[in-house]
Amino acid sequence: MPKRFGRIIKNIFKTFAQVNREKATGMLDFELKELENIFALLILGGFVGLPSPPSPIAIELLPYMERELIVLLSRSDLSHDPLGVLASMLEID
Amino acid sequence: MRDNIFFLGKGGVGKTTVSSAFAMALARRGSRVLAVSLDPAHNLGDALQTKLNGEPKKVEPMLDALEVDLAYWVDRYLEDSKEELKANYSYNSALNLDSFFGILKYSPGTEEYAVLWAIEDIRRRLAPQYDFVVFDTPPTALTLRFLSMPAISGLWVAELTKLRERILRDRQTIVRLNPQSPVAESCVDKEDDKVYGKLKNIRTRLTSLQDLFAKRSYMSIIVNPDELSVSEAIRIKDELSQLGIMLSAVCLNKKGLSRAEWTLSPEFGQLPLLICDFAPNGISTREDLVHIGIEPFIDLFLGKRYVKNE
Repeated sequence: MPKRFGRIIKNIFKTFAQVNREKATGMLDFELKELENIFALLILGGFVGLPSPPSPIAIELLPYMERELIVLLSRSDLSHDPLGVLASMLEID
Repeated sequence: MRDNIFFLGKGGVGKTTVSSAFAMALARRGSRVLAVSLDPAHNLGDALQTKLNGEPKKVEPMLDALEVDLAYWVDRYLEDSKEELKANYSYNSALNLDSFFGILKYSPGTEEYAVLWAIEDIRRRLAPQYDFVVFDTPPTALTLRFLSMPAISGLWVAELTKLRERILRDRQTIVRLNPQSPVAESCVDKEDDKVYGKLKNIRTRLTSLQDLFAKRSYMSIIVNPDELSVSEAIRIKDELSQLGIMLSAVCLNKKGLSRAEWTLSPEFGQLPLLICDFAPNGISTREDLVHIGIEPFIDLFLGKRYVKNE
């Protein structure tokens, strides 16, 4: 019984530490996603009329950019309310 | 050593004639020469009276020639990229690729890049077998675009590399603080990141092409005794100097075609001037090429004798 209790306490602390880690990296994660989004937009922008490097460079990089493309698509889903996304990230009600 | 010779100039000034005469005369002096046509509207084969294709074909004992097939290079490049993409993406992300890549063939910049890939391949695979590679270029617009491509693309690649480094730095910080973050599944080191590796590879290739044009090429501009070709030559000279590419010589082709008074613009005063005579009876055989007065040009190029611009 005390062993089980110890394990529960340990798990509570573990979860608590993980929540803090998630909170600590939340802002950085947001910035990272923005950077990845910008990177994808810069490379693939030519296909939607944005200034971009010559398309052969984009084609060379495209095979390794699956993650960036997924970020780009998910970012476009959130683009109708960018302030809302930022507010929720900063925990502003 | 400047072992690549490029002949530039306005359409119709005689780039193919002079470059084929130059390549032939150089080969007859005992050097192994490869003549390459980069012009999509090839006529190097007509000038050398040999049917040419994308691989070197023997024209004379020391002279081989080829005509770059730009469509082949575009197709090959897109096909390679498509295969790479299929190998790296999950199945449903790579659906309908054929139609996407079919359109990319007509994307701006592709033709210029095809010229660069062809030059890169010639330098890597074929050039070691020859002493000199003589390039007959397309008319001014395409030539300037492909010569400027390494510098312009280099700027883009430098900025993209900086951005990628920042992304990798952020990923490293996140993974260090929170090893269970989903970011840990993506690449965090420069050595493992394929995008970073590819950017580095593109940069190396572009720098090597830029060096080839600026430091290892003998750029020769061809003019006719008329105002139009000279005005265009001045524009080419200005554009090239912005790219750090300096002209090595001016060749006045078809001298005697017109009786109107004509002097070469002072912009070219510092460069050696070579003169090729107008052939009133036309150039109908390969042998006629050696009689247009190309020998002083070969002497100058090989450094035996300098012709002053007077």
